[in-house]
Amino acid sequence: MYLVEDLYKRHGKRLGLEIIAGKSGIRRAIKVPEAHRPGLGLTGYLKSHALKRILIFGKVEIEYLRDLSPPVRLERLDDLLTSKTPAVIIARGYKPPKELVTLCEKKKMPLFLASMITMNLLSKLTMLLHEDFALTITYHGTLVEVFGVGVLITGDSSVGKSEAALGLIERGHRLISDDVVRVKKREGYYLEGSGAELTKHHMEIRGIGIINVANLYGAVCVRDSKSIDIIVKLEQWDDEHIYDRFGLEDRYNDILGVKIPEHILPVKPGRDVVLLLETIALNHRLKGMGYNSAKEFNGKLLEKILGKRQYTRQLKEH
Amino acid sequence: MKLTCRVKVKNALGLHTRPATLIVKILQDCRSNVTFTYKNVTINAKSILSILMLALRKNSTIIIGVEGVDARETMNKLVEGFNSRFGEA
Repeated sequence: MYLVEDLYKRHGKRLGLEIIAGKSGIRRAIKVPEAHRPGLGLTGYLKSHALKRILIFGKVEIEYLRDLSPPVRLERLDDLLTSKTPAVIIARGYKPPKELVTLCEKKKMPLFLASMITMNLLSKLTMLLHEDFALTITYHGTLVEVFGVGVLITGDSSVGKSEAALGLIERGHRLISDDVVRVKKREGYYLEGSGAELTKHHMEIRGIGIINVANLYGAVCVRDSKSIDIIVKLEQWDDEHIYDRFGLEDRYNDILGVKIPEHILPVKPGRDVVLLLETIALNHRLKGMGYNSAKEFNGKLLEKILGKRQYTRQLKEH
Repeated sequence: MKLTCRVKVKNALGLHTRPATLIVKILQDCRSNVTFTYKNVTINAKSILSILMLALRKNSTIIIGVEGVDARETMNKLVEGFNSRFGEA
């Protein structure tokens, strides 16, 4: 459960929060990643009022409260601060009305003062809350940045994920996390991978043990987080299996509801996995730039077989 | 067949590098999928870094999940390891 305490500890400094009342309620739960300026709620109109949001009081709210008579002010604030409201934040460092401080103390609801202006506070707070509330899973795999492309290397234990990653690092690519990747679903439907605080930048190589990549190869070889652009699944070479020979069909893997292109890469002695991974990453970049090698080649081939005129006609028909 | 079992870490220093290495050694030859779940985080128990990431203290309880052909045998070995503190005092 996400508590007001978590928000204060993690982002208090960044948001410039200072707690001024209701400290005993610091363990209240924040259930939705939303903040809200009460505005209309202060006039007493509380129909469909969002109960679970953090309330932010800006200039207008404070001015409006000042204009009310003390008993009305108390009544309106009392109605507004429900048992589900996690906390109240006052922007721009405004002095809160006495009634608000008393109510917060009484209801054990943390009251914060922030120096930031209201709109900045609102957008920053929403962004940080969304980040903390994002769906997260841990994934068994190794995340490396290759030519700017986030490549998640997966596969069974001891198939050679770490060795492949080490080879890539040696060639100047960057490690995000080995063996265990925290995958977070971000706004705008993309996945971001990062390492766990304790194990990030470390690798376990069979026969050597645990190594610290940042210390061995320098800070330039590591990165804290990266979007996951493609997945490469390493597999032991299977003579029975028919591998993709042309690359016209795209495969996808679903992680947290996001479709990520997946390649299956069979491994056997003599196949330079590092070079193959680099090629896959480059090909992905090329596709992003609108050039698909397999499709382009197929087009040339059809043009040759059908003749230019017939091929153009076919293209128009489809 | 999927088996699950709840075990407690009994080692005084928690599940540090030595016992984690032993777990990975036990699982090296097993053909099942083995996971540890702790505080809603599920990891692959065949990877030493994943186990270490959990930073398990003494008395933390984890759920072991084993799925595959040699599930029963693997589970017994693991539970025995946890109960015997992986040979530590």
